[in-house]
Amino acid sequence: MCGGRLAAALTISRTPAPMWSYFVKRLGLSAVIVLCALLTLFLLLHLIPGDPARIALGPRATPEVIARYAEKMRLGEPILTQFWIYVTNALTGDLGADVFSNRPVLTIVLEVLPNTLVLAIVALAWAALIGIPLGCLSAVRPNSWFDRVTGLLSVATIAIPSFLVSIWSLLVFAVMLKWLPVIGAGDPGDYLDQAVHLILPAFAVGLGWVGYLARMVRASMLEVMSENYIRAARAFGLRERTVVFRYALKVAVLPTITLVGIGFSGLLSGAVFAEIVFTRPGAGKLIYDMVVNRNFPVVQGAVLIITALYVLITLAADLLVAWLDPRVRDSL
Amino acid sequence: MSTLKLDRRSFLATSGAIGTAGFFGLPLFAGEAMAQVKKLIVRVDSDINLLDPAYMVGGSEIEIQKAVLPALVEFDDADGSYGWRPSAYVEKFEQRDDTHFDFTLKSGFMWTGGNGELTAEDVKYSYERMKTGDWKGNFEQLDRVEVTDKYSGTLVLSQPFAPFVIIALASGTGGILSKAAMAKVEGEKYTTEIPATCGPYLFEWVPQQKFVFKANPDWTGPKPAFEEVECLIIQEGSAAELAFEAGEVMATKISAATHARYLETPPANSTVTVAGALQYMWLGMNTENEKLADIKVRQAIQHAVDAQQVIDGAYSGTTAKSNGIICPGLIGHRTATKYSYDPAKAQALLAEAGVSGLELELKTLNVQERVLAAQIIQAQLQAVGITVKVIPVDEGPFWEMGDQEKGDYKNLQLWLMRFGTNTDPYEATQWFTSDQVGVWNWERWKDEEFDRLYKEGQVESDEAKRAEIYLRMQEIMEDTGAYVWINHEPETFVHRADLKITVMPSGEMIWRDFKSA
Repeated sequence: MCGGRLAAALTISRTPAPMWSYFVKRLGLSAVIVLCALLTLFLLLHLIPGDPARIALGPRATPEVIARYAEKMRLGEPILTQFWIYVTNALTGDLGADVFSNRPVLTIVLEVLPNTLVLAIVALAWAALIGIPLGCLSAVRPNSWFDRVTGLLSVATIAIPSFLVSIWSLLVFAVMLKWLPVIGAGDPGDYLDQAVHLILPAFAVGLGWVGYLARMVRASMLEVMSENYIRAARAFGLRERTVVFRYALKVAVLPTITLVGIGFSGLLSGAVFAEIVFTRPGAGKLIYDMVVNRNFPVVQGAVLIITALYVLITLAADLLVAWLDPRVRDSL
Repeated sequence: MSTLKLDRRSFLATSGAIGTAGFFGLPLFAGEAMAQVKKLIVRVDSDINLLDPAYMVGGSEIEIQKAVLPALVEFDDADGSYGWRPSAYVEKFEQRDDTHFDFTLKSGFMWTGGNGELTAEDVKYSYERMKTGDWKGNFEQLDRVEVTDKYSGTLVLSQPFAPFVIIALASGTGGILSKAAMAKVEGEKYTTEIPATCGPYLFEWVPQQKFVFKANPDWTGPKPAFEEVECLIIQEGSAAELAFEAGEVMATKISAATHARYLETPPANSTVTVAGALQYMWLGMNTENEKLADIKVRQAIQHAVDAQQVIDGAYSGTTAKSNGIICPGLIGHRTATKYSYDPAKAQALLAEAGVSGLELELKTLNVQERVLAAQIIQAQLQAVGITVKVIPVDEGPFWEMGDQEKGDYKNLQLWLMRFGTNTDPYEATQWFTSDQVGVWNWERWKDEEFDRLYKEGQVESDEAKRAEIYLRMQEIMEDTGAYVWINHEPETFVHRADLKITVMPSGEMIWRDFKSA
């Protein structure tokens, strides 16, 4: 009887939570993360020393202009009231307007967001195209000269900050050799020009990820290669290439999906260095410029959108992993 | 009809040429003569927010207005001093007396968007509207604009105001709008879409990337040298300098450090042009602070600081030494100070004041050149026995330091300050009157003669008398002992050697006047 209960309990504990339950919990958590991030940003922006109106408008702004700015920004209201108004407006899609030009913040952010998305996608794509095979080949021949060289290069590319890669690649390929353009995102509508303008920023942003992905896939592959089913596959006399690419890599790449999800989200904000160095219009550069100009509504709107994107992409990656590996659903 | 012929031989030849040129770092179009270039590519340092002359912020917004909006007058620095001349839009602009300016527009200048011809009604509408905008200070003395006929009228001032033409009409606030087009705009205010333009170029904007000016086919005025002007928005100065060195822009503003570097090793095919030096920097002293209340202590500091050494050390010698607040080229510019660098005299003055072991704080904006300047001053004051602690301050708190309502003004001792000004001396003097104590007069002194001269300087039309007024005002300032004049930092540009650029003294580029050298 007792053994029966234990068996039943074990059976229950082994049944994974339904996907919808995991989805709802994860979605709720995402909303809380966005809200917390926004509140933190809101408080930080208001903790900057000095009168925000005077800082934004410059030292010689007339009292009338300063007063109008303060009124427009509702700077006289308590911070939490300002926050509440902002959140309720944001829920209806109103992220406010640029304090100077009065253009909707959403429009301003959406004008440049595609540039950042394209940069992040291309950077991650080329990093994955190089990094995953490198990691895979390293795992197949562990401790070989190829593995050692790959390991060394991987650590090097991870260690070098992307802003340094940006500056050096710009100096070498754009200023000295004049092979590639220095600034901008290329002419709108001219895809070839845009592609040429993407090469250096994507190289700079993606380089670190080559090493990161190579190390991740290598470690994952080595773990999988020692599993019983791989040994069984080999015992059955399957070709090594089939074992590696058809059976081992398929499983080893799973953790990489989460990593790529987080990595892509990180690149959205991490691209800021490349965007500044290459004067490439993008969400990161927009936030940087607007922080410098103390244009709070645009900063808040841009950060909100980037945070929401970050959370959504991470959510999508988690859901994908939870779908592929039901055990994950119980972890929340 | 020409056809593209591509065979193996021509493909190899072309590829080889391109590859070789690229490999050896030669820009593919480096040999292109400016005369053949129809497109000008320049850098601007900020995107636009408001293009309405009444509510703009300034900078690139002024540059755009100068390219697409009419004006009655424009800057003229032909004789080495700043003045004005009638613009290409007028047949006549004359000062009848101290309060009346007559103008007659040329006929045939058409507004875009079917908004008719440029008329005197547009001038009346535009300038009377300025009296209610954010830049109303420039138009405070304008009483009204009287329209005589379709093209003629008179600007009538309520009282004489000598700098009116130069600060209100020749600067960025002098743009004229189309009354008809503005009537169609909600609230008669606009932000980034100019309702109608009337200039040599038509304006396009790619937000956060660039402005593009293409030749206006309906333009009947003087034809600009370039059919198209592309202005790339590059906020970071160092990025702009790299873009110039890579050949991607033909002209850009540069920093003092880069100016010094270019003087030693200029980029190939380049020229450096120094425009106005309408900024004045000084070491300020709080006359109400107990450590500095004795004028002998302040005078000791005046004698202890060698401004030329500061200029050489922090600005690589690229800026002009200052002798007051009126910048070079302006009426009332001083050529010498009453004090001189004399450490022995400084020590004697300190001894007379009975001060020894004096410790002071020197605050400065956290900007590379200024922190360096502060450190040099620190060393100079140390040499006469004054120990100085240099405190770099971020922009927000810096601009409030001397503010009576928001700053810790009582404990403020020494600071490095730089103000910008326009091309009339009136602007620079307005910050030091008695009513500015605790606002911008952080030195906190009052002088009845200074206040009286400030008013007289505005209405005096005789240039020689005005010069005397402003010279005396600076002398009064200097006599308080609260100022050590440092430098006038110029607006410096690097551009292709085969390009002749035109820049307003305040640093805005006038692209319509750029020419092939």
